[in-house]
Amino acid sequence: MISLDRASLRYGPILGLSPTTFELPDGGGITGLLGPNGAGKSSLLQLLSGLLPPSGGEVRVFGQAPFRNPAVLARLGLVPEGDRLPSGLRADRWLRMMGELSGLSGEALKAAQARALETVGMADRAHLTFARMSKGMRQRIRLAQALLHGPELLILDEPFNGLDPEARLGLMDLLRRLAGEGVRVLVSSHILSEIAQLTDRILLLFRGRLLAEGTVTEIRQLLDRHPVELRLTGEPLDLARWAVEQPELAALRMEEGAVVLSVRSPRDILPRLQQAAAAGRIPLRALDPLDLNLDAVFQYLTKDHA
Amino acid sequence: MSQAAPSPLATLRATAFGYAPRLLQGRGWAVAALVAVPVGISLGVFTFSRLQGLDSDPAEALRIFHDGLVKMMLPIMALVAAPAGIREDLEQRTLPLLLVRPAAVWAYPLGKGLPWFLWGAAWLVLGALGLQVVGGDPSLLLGRIGALVGAWWGELALMTLVGLLFKRGTLWGALYFFLWEPLLRIFPPFLQRLTFTHYIESLAGSRAAEVKTHELLAQEQVTTHPAVAILVLVAFGALCWALAGWKLHRTPIGLAGSEAEG
Repeated sequence: MISLDRASLRYGPILGLSPTTFELPDGGGITGLLGPNGAGKSSLLQLLSGLLPPSGGEVRVFGQAPFRNPAVLARLGLVPEGDRLPSGLRADRWLRMMGELSGLSGEALKAAQARALETVGMADRAHLTFARMSKGMRQRIRLAQALLHGPELLILDEPFNGLDPEARLGLMDLLRRLAGEGVRVLVSSHILSEIAQLTDRILLLFRGRLLAEGTVTEIRQLLDRHPVELRLTGEPLDLARWAVEQPELAALRMEEGAVVLSVRSPRDILPRLQQAAAAGRIPLRALDPLDLNLDAVFQYLTKDHA
Repeated sequence: MSQAAPSPLATLRATAFGYAPRLLQGRGWAVAALVAVPVGISLGVFTFSRLQGLDSDPAEALRIFHDGLVKMMLPIMALVAAPAGIREDLEQRTLPLLLVRPAAVWAYPLGKGLPWFLWGAAWLVLGALGLQVVGGDPSLLLGRIGALVGAWWGELALMTLVGLLFKRGTLWGALYFFLWEPLLRIFPPFLQRLTFTHYIESLAGSRAAEVKTHELLAQEQVTTHPAVAILVLVAFGALCWALAGWKLHRTPIGLAGSEAEG
Protein backbone atom coordinates (compact mmCIF):
# COMPACT_ATOMS: atom_id res chain seq x y z
CA MET A 1 0.00 0.00 0.00
CA ILE A 2 2.75 2.44 0.99
CA SER A 3 6.40 2.29 0.09
CA LEU A 4 9.16 4.81 0.59
CA ASP A 5 12.51 4.30 -1.05
CA ARG A 6 15.06 6.72 0.39
CA ALA A 7 12.42 9.42 0.28
CA SER A 8 13.49 12.74 1.77
CA LEU A 9 11.97 16.18 2.16
CA ARG A 10 13.72 19.52 2.45
CA TYR A 11 12.25 22.92 3.34
CA GLY A 12 14.89 25.07 1.70
CA PRO A 13 18.04 24.53 3.77
CA ILE A 14 16.18 22.59 6.47
CA LEU A 15 15.95 18.83 6.24
CA GLY A 16 12.41 17.84 7.21
CA LEU A 17 12.88 14.14 6.59
CA SER A 18 16.12 12.27 6.00
CA PRO A 19 16.20 9.58 3.31
CA THR A 20 13.71 7.06 4.67
CA THR A 21 12.80 3.59 3.51
CA PHE A 22 9.89 1.49 4.71
CA GLU A 23 6.81 -0.32 3.47
CA LEU A 24 3.32 -0.80 4.78
CA PRO A 25 1.39 -3.76 3.46
CA ASP A 26 -2.12 -3.73 2.00
CA GLY A 27 -5.12 -4.32 4.25
CA GLY A 28 -6.52 -2.78 7.36
CA GLY A 29 -4.77 -2.02 10.61
CA ILE A 30 -3.40 0.91 12.52
CA THR A 31 0.14 2.13 12.22
CA GLY A 32 1.39 4.69 14.71
CA LEU A 33 3.90 7.32 13.72
CA LEU A 34 5.66 8.26 16.91
CA GLY A 35 8.14 11.00 17.56
CA PRO A 36 8.62 14.24 19.50
CA ASN A 37 7.70 17.59 18.01
CA GLY A 38 9.89 18.35 15.01
CA ALA A 39 10.71 14.68 14.41
CA GLY A 40 9.45 14.74 10.83
CA LYS A 41 6.05 13.12 11.34
CA SER A 42 4.12 15.80 9.49
CA SER A 43 6.71 15.84 6.71
CA LEU A 44 6.25 12.10 6.21
CA LEU A 45 2.47 12.41 6.27
CA GLN A 46 2.60 15.24 3.74
CA LEU A 47 4.64 13.07 1.41
CA LEU A 48 2.19 10.19 1.76
CA SER A 49 -0.90 12.33 1.30
CA GLY A 50 0.46 13.93 -1.85
CA LEU A 51 0.68 17.46 -0.50
CA LEU A 52 4.41 17.65 -1.12
CA PRO A 53 6.62 15.78 -3.57
CA PRO A 54 9.78 14.20 -2.17
CA SER A 55 12.99 16.20 -2.53
CA GLY A 56 14.76 12.93 -3.18
CA GLY A 57 13.97 9.25 -3.43
CA GLU A 58 10.57 7.83 -4.22
CA VAL A 59 7.17 7.72 -2.53
CA ARG A 60 4.55 5.25 -3.70
CA VAL A 61 1.02 4.97 -2.40
CA PHE A 62 -1.19 2.33 -4.02
CA GLY A 63 1.73 1.81 -6.41
CA GLN A 64 1.83 5.39 -7.67
CA ALA A 65 3.42 8.72 -6.79
CA PRO A 66 0.77 10.59 -4.78
CA PHE A 67 1.66 14.24 -5.50
CA ARG A 68 -1.27 15.81 -7.44
CA ASN A 69 -2.33 12.32 -8.50
CA PRO A 70 -6.16 12.01 -8.50
CA ALA A 71 -5.98 8.22 -8.77
CA VAL A 72 -4.18 8.07 -5.41
CA LEU A 73 -6.00 10.97 -3.75
CA ALA A 74 -9.39 9.36 -4.49
CA ARG A 75 -8.36 6.47 -2.25
CA LEU A 76 -6.98 8.32 0.77
CA GLY A 77 -8.31 10.65 3.42
CA LEU A 78 -6.27 13.17 5.41
CA VAL A 79 -7.00 14.78 8.75
CA PRO A 80 -4.34 17.48 9.14
CA GLU A 81 -3.17 18.68 12.53
CA GLY A 82 -5.13 21.44 14.27
CA ASP A 83 -8.75 22.46 14.05
CA ARG A 84 -8.61 24.94 11.21
CA LEU A 85 -11.64 25.05 8.94
CA PRO A 86 -12.82 27.70 6.47
CA SER A 87 -14.44 30.52 8.39
CA GLY A 88 -18.06 31.48 7.97
CA LEU A 89 -19.35 28.23 6.48
CA ARG A 90 -21.85 25.67 7.71
CA ALA A 91 -20.44 22.21 8.32
CA ASP A 92 -23.05 20.31 6.29
CA ARG A 93 -22.66 22.54 3.23
CA TRP A 94 -18.90 22.44 3.43
CA LEU A 95 -18.98 18.65 3.71
CA ARG A 96 -21.23 18.47 0.66
CA MET A 97 -18.65 20.48 -1.28
CA MET A 98 -15.83 18.24 -0.09
CA GLY A 99 -17.86 15.22 -1.16
CA GLU A 100 -18.39 16.70 -4.61
CA LEU A 101 -14.68 17.42 -4.86
CA SER A 102 -14.12 13.74 -4.09
CA GLY A 103 -16.28 12.72 -7.04
CA LEU A 104 -19.52 12.05 -5.17
CA SER A 105 -22.87 13.33 -6.37
CA GLY A 106 -26.61 12.88 -5.99
CA GLU A 107 -27.92 10.21 -3.65
CA ALA A 108 -24.47 8.69 -3.17
CA LEU A 109 -23.25 12.04 -1.84
CA LYS A 110 -26.19 12.40 0.53
CA ALA A 111 -25.73 8.87 1.82
CA ALA A 112 -21.97 9.31 2.24
CA GLN A 113 -22.44 12.59 4.10
CA ALA A 114 -25.06 11.12 6.42
CA ARG A 115 -22.87 8.08 7.06
CA ALA A 116 -19.76 10.16 7.79
CA LEU A 117 -21.64 12.49 10.13
CA GLU A 118 -23.22 9.51 11.88
CA THR A 119 -19.81 7.87 12.24
CA VAL A 120 -18.30 10.90 13.97
CA GLY A 121 -21.43 11.59 16.02
CA MET A 122 -22.23 14.96 14.45
CA ALA A 123 -25.42 14.18 12.53
CA ASP A 124 -27.55 16.49 14.67
CA ARG A 125 -25.10 19.39 14.79
CA ALA A 126 -23.88 19.63 11.22
CA HIS A 127 -26.09 22.64 10.52
CA LEU A 128 -23.88 24.80 12.75
CA THR A 129 -21.24 27.13 11.36
CA PHE A 130 -17.65 26.30 12.24
CA ALA A 131 -17.43 29.45 14.36
CA ARG A 132 -20.12 28.06 16.68
CA MET A 133 -18.44 24.67 17.12
CA SER A 134 -16.15 23.57 19.92
CA LYS A 135 -12.66 22.32 19.16
CA GLY A 136 -13.79 18.71 19.58
CA MET A 137 -16.72 19.22 17.21
CA ARG A 138 -14.48 20.77 14.57
CA GLN A 139 -12.09 17.85 14.92
CA ARG A 140 -14.96 15.45 14.28
CA ILE A 141 -16.00 17.37 11.18
CA ARG A 142 -12.42 17.22 9.93
CA LEU A 143 -12.53 13.49 10.42
CA ALA A 144 -15.88 13.31 8.63
CA GLN A 145 -14.46 15.07 5.54
CA ALA A 146 -11.71 12.46 5.39
CA LEU A 147 -14.20 9.59 5.64
CA LEU A 148 -16.73 10.91 3.12
CA HIS A 149 -15.44 9.04 0.09
CA GLY A 150 -14.67 5.79 1.91
CA PRO A 151 -10.86 5.96 1.79
CA GLU A 152 -8.72 2.83 1.91
CA LEU A 153 -5.95 4.79 3.62
CA LEU A 154 -6.75 7.24 6.40
CA ILE A 155 -3.97 9.57 7.54
CA LEU A 156 -4.32 11.52 10.78
CA ASP A 157 -1.77 14.05 12.00
CA GLU A 158 -1.81 14.44 15.80
CA PRO A 159 -5.58 13.87 15.97
CA PHE A 160 -5.73 13.69 19.78
CA ASN A 161 -4.30 17.14 20.42
CA GLY A 162 -6.73 19.28 22.38
CA LEU A 163 -9.35 16.56 22.79
CA ASP A 164 -10.80 15.84 26.21
CA PRO A 165 -10.33 12.26 27.55
CA GLU A 166 -13.81 11.18 26.53
CA ALA A 167 -13.43 12.46 22.99
CA ARG A 168 -9.99 10.86 22.83
CA LEU A 169 -11.35 7.44 23.78
CA GLY A 170 -14.21 7.87 21.34
CA LEU A 171 -11.80 8.66 18.53
CA MET A 172 -9.65 5.67 19.42
CA ASP A 173 -12.69 3.39 19.28
CA LEU A 174 -13.64 4.84 15.93
CA LEU A 175 -10.17 4.34 14.48
CA ARG A 176 -10.11 0.73 15.73
CA ARG A 177 -13.50 0.14 14.13
CA LEU A 178 -12.36 1.59 10.81
CA ALA A 179 -9.22 -0.52 10.91
CA GLY A 180 -11.40 -3.56 11.57
CA GLU A 181 -13.40 -2.70 8.46
CA GLY A 182 -10.27 -2.89 6.31
CA VAL A 183 -9.10 0.75 6.35
CA ARG A 184 -5.36 1.23 6.80
CA VAL A 185 -5.03 3.97 9.43
CA LEU A 186 -1.80 5.92 9.81
CA VAL A 187 -1.86 8.09 12.89
CA SER A 188 0.87 10.33 14.25
CA SER A 189 1.41 11.37 17.84
CA HIS A 190 4.20 12.51 20.12
CA ILE A 191 2.66 10.69 23.08
CA LEU A 192 3.78 7.10 23.48
CA SER A 193 0.84 6.01 25.62
CA GLU A 194 -1.68 7.25 23.05
CA ILE A 195 -0.08 5.26 20.30
CA ALA A 196 0.42 2.23 22.53
CA GLN A 197 -3.30 2.17 23.34
CA LEU A 198 -4.21 2.34 19.72
CA THR A 199 -1.90 0.54 17.44
CA ASP A 200 -0.36 -2.76 16.53
CA ARG A 201 2.55 -1.26 14.66
CA ILE A 202 4.83 1.73 15.31
CA LEU A 203 7.24 3.80 13.26
CA LEU A 204 9.65 5.81 15.41
CA LEU A 205 10.88 9.10 14.02
CA PHE A 206 13.40 11.48 15.50
CA ARG A 207 14.98 14.59 13.99
CA GLY A 208 13.87 13.64 10.52
CA ARG A 209 15.10 10.07 10.75
CA LEU A 210 13.23 6.81 10.99
CA LEU A 211 14.85 5.23 14.03
CA ALA A 212 12.90 2.03 14.36
CA GLU A 213 9.81 0.23 13.26
CA GLY A 214 8.00 -2.70 14.76
CA THR A 215 5.25 -3.75 17.10
CA VAL A 216 4.64 -2.01 20.39
CA THR A 217 6.31 -4.94 22.20
CA GLU A 218 9.37 -4.75 19.99
CA ILE A 219 9.67 -1.01 20.51
CA ARG A 220 9.22 -1.43 24.27
CA GLN A 221 11.96 -4.04 24.34
CA LEU A 222 14.16 -1.63 22.45
CA LEU A 223 13.40 1.09 24.97
CA ASP A 224 13.95 -1.29 27.92
CA ARG A 225 17.59 -1.68 26.95
CA HIS A 226 18.15 1.86 28.08
CA PRO A 227 18.26 2.93 31.72
CA VAL A 228 15.51 5.21 32.99
CA GLU A 229 15.95 7.52 35.97
CA LEU A 230 13.54 7.30 38.92
CA ARG A 231 13.68 9.55 41.98
CA LEU A 232 12.49 7.84 45.18
CA THR A 233 11.76 10.30 47.96
CA GLY A 234 11.99 8.98 51.51
CA GLU A 235 14.75 7.76 53.83
CA PRO A 236 17.68 7.64 51.37
CA LEU A 237 19.76 4.95 53.09
CA ASP A 238 16.89 2.48 53.43
CA LEU A 239 15.81 3.12 49.88
CA ALA A 240 19.37 2.66 48.61
CA ARG A 241 19.70 -0.63 50.55
CA TRP A 242 16.59 -1.97 48.83
CA ALA A 243 17.67 -0.65 45.42
CA VAL A 244 21.11 -2.27 45.32
CA GLU A 245 19.48 -5.70 45.61
CA GLN A 246 17.49 -5.16 42.41
CA PRO A 247 18.95 -6.72 39.25
CA GLU A 248 17.68 -3.87 37.02
CA LEU A 249 19.75 -1.24 38.83
CA ALA A 250 22.36 0.37 36.62
CA ALA A 251 23.38 3.34 38.76
CA LEU A 252 22.45 5.04 42.01
CA ARG A 253 22.83 8.61 43.24
CA MET A 254 22.07 9.96 46.70
CA GLU A 255 20.31 13.30 47.08
CA GLU A 256 19.00 15.30 50.02
CA GLY A 257 16.01 13.24 51.25
CA ALA A 258 15.89 11.11 48.12
CA VAL A 259 17.73 8.61 46.02
CA VAL A 260 17.91 8.61 42.22
CA LEU A 261 18.01 5.21 40.57
CA SER A 262 19.01 4.52 37.02
CA VAL A 263 17.20 1.30 36.10
CA ARG A 264 16.75 -0.91 33.07
CA SER A 265 13.32 -2.41 32.36
CA PRO A 266 11.35 -0.08 34.63
CA ARG A 267 8.23 -2.10 33.94
CA ASP A 268 9.84 -5.03 35.83
CA ILE A 269 11.11 -3.11 38.82
CA LEU A 270 8.09 -0.86 39.37
CA PRO A 271 5.68 -3.61 40.56
CA ARG A 272 8.28 -4.85 43.09
CA LEU A 273 8.80 -1.29 44.30
CA GLN A 274 5.04 -0.93 44.70
CA GLN A 275 4.80 -4.18 46.69
CA ALA A 276 7.73 -3.25 48.93
CA ALA A 277 6.26 0.16 49.69
CA ALA A 278 2.81 -1.30 50.37
CA ALA A 279 4.29 -3.88 52.72
CA GLY A 280 6.21 -1.17 54.58
CA ARG A 281 9.61 -2.65 53.73
CA ILE A 282 10.83 0.67 52.30
CA PRO A 283 10.05 4.20 53.56
CA LEU A 284 8.85 5.56 50.20
CA ARG A 285 7.04 8.90 50.22
CA ALA A 286 7.13 9.79 46.51
CA LEU A 287 8.18 8.33 43.17
CA ASP A 288 9.06 10.58 40.20
CA PRO A 289 10.18 9.25 36.85
CA LEU A 290 12.74 11.81 35.71
CA ASP A 291 13.11 10.93 32.07
CA LEU A 292 10.25 8.72 31.00
CA ASN A 293 9.09 11.36 28.57
CA LEU A 294 9.44 10.59 24.92
CA ASP A 295 12.17 13.12 24.27
CA ALA A 296 14.44 11.31 26.73
CA VAL A 297 13.62 7.97 25.18
CA PHE A 298 14.51 9.32 21.77
CA GLN A 299 17.74 10.74 23.10
CA TYR A 300 18.69 7.21 24.18
CA LEU A 301 17.69 5.79 20.85
CA THR A 302 19.61 8.45 18.99
CA LYS A 303 22.78 7.53 20.87
CA ASP A 304 22.07 3.92 20.05
CA HIS A 305 21.41 4.78 16.45
CA ALA A 306 24.68 6.65 16.17
CA MET B 1 -15.94 3.03 -2.04
CA SER B 2 -13.26 5.21 -3.64
CA GLN B 3 -14.65 7.54 -6.28
CA ALA B 4 -13.56 8.70 -9.70
CA ALA B 5 -12.10 12.20 -9.84
CA PRO B 6 -14.68 14.93 -10.51
CA SER B 7 -14.55 16.78 -13.82
CA PRO B 8 -13.10 20.32 -13.90
CA LEU B 9 -16.62 21.65 -14.45
CA ALA B 10 -17.88 19.75 -11.40
CA THR B 11 -14.92 21.13 -9.44
CA LEU B 12 -15.77 24.69 -10.49
CA ARG B 13 -19.44 24.22 -9.63
CA ALA B 14 -18.75 22.59 -6.26
CA THR B 15 -16.24 25.23 -5.20
CA ALA B 16 -18.35 28.15 -6.39
CA PHE B 17 -21.51 26.93 -4.64
CA GLY B 18 -19.60 25.73 -1.59
CA TYR B 19 -18.06 29.11 -0.86
CA ALA B 20 -20.96 31.27 -2.07
CA PRO B 21 -22.33 31.80 1.49
CA ARG B 22 -19.20 33.84 2.22
CA LEU B 23 -20.64 36.59 0.00
CA LEU B 24 -23.34 37.38 2.50
CA GLN B 25 -20.84 38.06 5.27
CA GLY B 26 -18.89 41.18 6.14
CA ARG B 27 -16.46 41.15 3.25
CA GLY B 28 -19.21 40.57 0.72
CA TRP B 29 -21.20 43.52 1.97
CA ALA B 30 -18.04 45.64 1.99
CA VAL B 31 -17.58 44.88 -1.70
CA ALA B 32 -21.22 45.77 -2.35
CA ALA B 33 -20.89 48.99 -0.36
CA LEU B 34 -17.94 50.12 -2.46
CA VAL B 35 -20.35 50.49 -5.37
CA ALA B 36 -23.57 51.20 -3.54
CA VAL B 37 -22.31 54.00 -1.31
CA PRO B 38 -20.95 56.45 -3.93
CA VAL B 39 -23.79 55.77 -6.33
CA GLY B 40 -26.32 55.91 -3.50
CA ILE B 41 -24.96 59.22 -2.23
CA SER B 42 -25.06 60.60 -5.75
CA LEU B 43 -28.66 59.43 -6.14
CA GLY B 44 -29.53 60.99 -2.80
CA VAL B 45 -28.00 64.35 -3.74
CA PHE B 46 -29.73 64.18 -7.13
CA THR B 47 -33.10 63.46 -5.55
CA PHE B 48 -32.63 66.20 -2.95
CA SER B 49 -31.71 68.70 -5.68
CA ARG B 50 -34.78 67.78 -7.66
CA LEU B 51 -36.99 68.14 -4.61
CA GLN B 52 -35.49 71.59 -4.01
CA GLY B 53 -36.17 72.48 -7.63
CA LEU B 54 -32.46 72.80 -8.40
CA ASP B 55 -30.81 71.68 -11.62
CA SER B 56 -28.46 68.73 -11.32
CA ASP B 57 -24.95 68.80 -12.72
CA PRO B 58 -24.93 66.86 -16.02
CA ALA B 59 -21.26 65.95 -15.51
CA GLU B 60 -21.98 64.33 -12.14
CA ALA B 61 -22.55 60.84 -13.56
CA LEU B 62 -19.37 61.04 -15.61
CA ARG B 63 -17.36 62.21 -12.60
CA ILE B 64 -18.63 59.44 -10.34
CA PHE B 65 -18.08 56.82 -13.01
CA HIS B 66 -14.49 57.75 -13.84
CA ASP B 67 -13.17 59.20 -10.59
CA GLY B 68 -15.27 57.19 -8.17
CA LEU B 69 -15.98 53.76 -9.58
CA VAL B 70 -13.17 53.25 -12.08
CA LYS B 71 -10.23 54.92 -10.34
CA MET B 72 -11.04 54.13 -6.73
CA MET B 73 -13.77 51.62 -6.11
CA LEU B 74 -12.99 48.94 -8.71
CA PRO B 75 -9.37 48.50 -7.53
CA ILE B 76 -10.45 48.53 -3.88
CA MET B 77 -13.12 45.93 -4.67
CA ALA B 78 -10.45 43.71 -6.19
CA LEU B 79 -8.13 44.31 -3.25
CA VAL B 80 -10.91 43.38 -0.81
CA ALA B 81 -12.42 40.42 -2.68
CA ALA B 82 -9.34 38.63 -4.02
CA PRO B 83 -7.90 37.74 -0.59
CA ALA B 84 -11.19 35.95 0.15
CA GLY B 85 -10.50 33.63 -2.75
CA ILE B 86 -7.90 30.88 -2.79
CA ARG B 87 -5.47 33.13 -0.92
CA GLU B 88 -7.71 32.86 2.15
CA ASP B 89 -7.30 29.08 2.23
CA LEU B 90 -3.57 29.50 1.92
CA GLU B 91 -3.43 31.89 4.84
CA GLN B 92 -5.91 29.99 7.02
CA ARG B 93 -4.04 26.76 6.23
CA THR B 94 -7.21 25.08 5.06
CA LEU B 95 -5.83 24.63 1.55
CA PRO B 96 -4.49 21.10 2.26
CA LEU B 97 -8.07 19.97 2.79
CA LEU B 98 -8.76 20.94 -0.83
CA LEU B 99 -5.43 19.77 -2.22
CA VAL B 100 -5.88 16.19 -1.00
CA ARG B 101 -9.08 15.86 -3.03
CA PRO B 102 -8.87 14.18 -6.42
CA ALA B 103 -10.33 17.30 -8.07
CA ALA B 104 -8.61 19.55 -10.63
CA VAL B 105 -6.41 21.79 -8.47
CA TRP B 106 -6.08 24.39 -11.24
CA ALA B 107 -9.83 25.02 -11.09
CA TYR B 108 -9.84 26.12 -7.44
CA PRO B 109 -8.80 29.79 -7.93
CA LEU B 110 -11.51 30.35 -10.56
CA GLY B 111 -14.04 28.29 -8.60
CA LYS B 112 -13.51 30.37 -5.49
CA GLY B 113 -13.34 33.61 -7.50
CA LEU B 114 -16.49 33.12 -9.57
CA PRO B 115 -18.98 33.91 -6.77
CA TRP B 116 -17.06 37.10 -6.00
CA PHE B 117 -17.00 38.06 -9.67
CA LEU B 118 -20.74 37.53 -10.05
CA TRP B 119 -21.51 39.33 -6.81
CA GLY B 120 -19.36 42.34 -7.68
CA ALA B 121 -20.63 42.38 -11.27
CA ALA B 122 -24.23 42.47 -10.08
CA TRP B 123 -23.53 45.50 -7.90
CA LEU B 124 -21.58 47.21 -10.67
CA VAL B 125 -24.50 46.76 -13.06
CA LEU B 126 -26.81 48.23 -10.44
CA GLY B 127 -24.34 51.08 -9.97
CA ALA B 128 -24.22 51.80 -13.69
CA LEU B 129 -28.01 51.80 -13.82
CA GLY B 130 -28.12 54.12 -10.83
CA LEU B 131 -25.80 56.56 -12.59
CA GLN B 132 -28.23 56.67 -15.50
CA VAL B 133 -30.78 58.17 -13.14
CA VAL B 134 -28.28 60.85 -12.13
CA GLY B 135 -27.75 61.81 -15.75
CA GLY B 136 -25.60 59.35 -17.63
CA ASP B 137 -25.71 59.28 -21.41
CA PRO B 138 -28.14 56.43 -22.32
CA SER B 139 -26.14 55.60 -25.45
CA LEU B 140 -23.13 54.78 -23.27
CA LEU B 141 -24.97 52.60 -20.72
CA LEU B 142 -24.05 49.28 -22.28
CA GLY B 143 -20.47 50.43 -22.76
CA ARG B 144 -20.23 51.49 -19.13
CA ILE B 145 -21.65 48.21 -17.90
CA GLY B 146 -19.25 46.33 -20.19
CA ALA B 147 -16.35 48.45 -19.00
CA LEU B 148 -17.09 47.97 -15.32
CA VAL B 149 -17.81 44.25 -15.52
CA GLY B 150 -14.91 43.57 -17.91
CA ALA B 151 -12.46 45.50 -15.75
CA TRP B 152 -13.78 43.82 -12.59
CA TRP B 153 -13.19 40.42 -14.21
CA GLY B 154 -9.63 41.36 -15.14
CA GLU B 155 -8.73 43.13 -11.90
CA LEU B 156 -10.12 40.36 -9.67
CA ALA B 157 -8.23 37.75 -11.68
CA LEU B 158 -5.05 39.81 -11.57
CA MET B 159 -5.26 40.22 -7.81
CA THR B 160 -5.93 36.50 -7.35
CA LEU B 161 -2.82 35.71 -9.36
CA VAL B 162 -0.72 38.31 -7.52
CA GLY B 163 -1.97 36.86 -4.22
CA LEU B 164 -0.59 33.46 -5.20
CA LEU B 165 2.67 34.83 -6.57
CA PHE B 166 3.57 37.14 -3.68
CA LYS B 167 3.15 36.97 0.07
CA ARG B 168 2.18 40.64 0.15
CA GLY B 169 -0.07 40.44 -2.87
CA THR B 170 -2.45 43.13 -1.62
CA LEU B 171 0.42 45.58 -1.27
CA TRP B 172 1.69 44.90 -4.79
CA GLY B 173 -1.83 45.17 -6.12
CA ALA B 174 -2.35 48.51 -4.40
CA LEU B 175 0.93 49.79 -5.82
CA TYR B 176 -0.12 48.71 -9.29
CA PHE B 177 -3.57 50.27 -9.14
CA PHE B 178 -2.75 53.48 -7.35
CA LEU B 179 0.81 54.18 -8.50
CA TRP B 180 1.55 52.40 -11.75
CA GLU B 181 -1.73 53.05 -13.58
CA PRO B 182 -1.70 56.82 -12.85
CA LEU B 183 2.02 57.01 -13.69
CA LEU B 184 1.42 55.54 -17.11
CA ARG B 185 -0.38 58.78 -17.93
CA ILE B 186 2.98 60.33 -18.65
CA PHE B 187 4.30 57.39 -20.67
CA PRO B 188 4.11 56.98 -24.43
CA PRO B 189 0.62 56.10 -25.67
CA PHE B 190 1.43 52.51 -26.59
CA LEU B 191 2.34 51.81 -22.96
CA GLN B 192 -1.05 53.08 -21.88
CA ARG B 193 -2.52 50.02 -23.52
CA LEU B 194 -1.15 48.18 -20.49
CA THR B 195 -3.67 49.90 -18.20
CA PHE B 196 -7.22 48.93 -17.39
CA THR B 197 -8.18 52.58 -17.75
CA HIS B 198 -7.38 52.53 -21.46
CA TYR B 199 -9.88 49.76 -22.19
CA ILE B 200 -12.45 51.16 -19.79
CA GLU B 201 -12.35 54.47 -21.63
CA SER B 202 -12.56 52.67 -24.93
CA LEU B 203 -15.77 50.96 -23.81
CA ALA B 204 -17.35 53.72 -21.73
CA GLY B 205 -16.39 56.56 -24.03
CA SER B 206 -13.22 58.57 -23.90
CA ARG B 207 -13.38 61.58 -21.66
CA ALA B 208 -11.08 63.54 -23.93
CA ALA B 209 -13.78 65.97 -24.99
CA GLU B 210 -15.21 66.44 -21.51
CA VAL B 211 -12.35 66.84 -19.06
CA LYS B 212 -9.44 69.18 -18.73
CA THR B 213 -6.21 68.37 -20.48
CA HIS B 214 -4.29 67.42 -17.32
CA GLU B 215 -7.01 64.90 -16.44
CA LEU B 216 -6.70 63.04 -19.69
CA LEU B 217 -5.44 59.52 -19.50
CA ALA B 218 -3.74 59.55 -22.85
CA GLN B 219 -1.88 62.20 -24.71
CA GLU B 220 -4.03 61.14 -27.60
CA GLN B 221 -7.61 60.03 -27.97
CA VAL B 222 -8.30 56.40 -27.07
CA THR B 223 -8.89 54.71 -30.39
CA THR B 224 -9.10 51.03 -29.44
CA HIS B 225 -12.34 49.60 -30.76
CA PRO B 226 -14.79 48.71 -27.95
CA ALA B 227 -15.06 45.12 -29.18
CA VAL B 228 -11.30 44.79 -28.98
CA ALA B 229 -11.32 46.41 -25.55
CA ILE B 230 -13.84 43.96 -24.07
CA LEU B 231 -11.98 41.09 -25.70
CA VAL B 232 -8.72 42.24 -24.16
CA LEU B 233 -10.27 42.55 -20.69
CA VAL B 234 -11.93 39.14 -20.88
CA ALA B 235 -8.83 37.48 -22.31
CA PHE B 236 -6.55 39.12 -19.74
CA GLY B 237 -8.81 37.94 -16.92
CA ALA B 238 -8.94 34.42 -18.34
CA LEU B 239 -5.15 34.40 -18.66
CA CYS B 240 -4.74 35.48 -15.04
CA TRP B 241 -7.18 32.81 -13.79
CA ALA B 242 -5.33 30.21 -15.85
CA LEU B 243 -1.95 31.32 -14.51
CA ALA B 244 -3.29 31.29 -10.95
CA GLY B 245 -4.54 27.74 -11.50
CA TRP B 246 -1.25 26.68 -13.01
CA LYS B 247 0.69 28.24 -10.13
CA LEU B 248 -1.46 26.45 -7.56
CA HIS B 249 -1.20 23.15 -9.41
CA ARG B 250 2.57 23.37 -9.71
CA THR B 251 3.39 24.66 -6.24
CA PRO B 252 3.81 22.11 -3.46
CA ILE B 253 1.91 23.54 -0.51
CA GLY B 254 2.18 21.71 2.77
CA LEU B 255 0.29 21.77 6.02
CA ALA B 256 2.11 24.87 7.20
CA GLY B 257 1.16 26.72 4.03
CA SER B 258 4.81 26.80 3.07
CA GLU B 259 6.50 25.32 0.10
CA ALA B 260 8.97 22.49 0.25
CA GLU B 261 11.79 21.98 -2.19
CA GLY B 262 10.29 19.38 -4.47
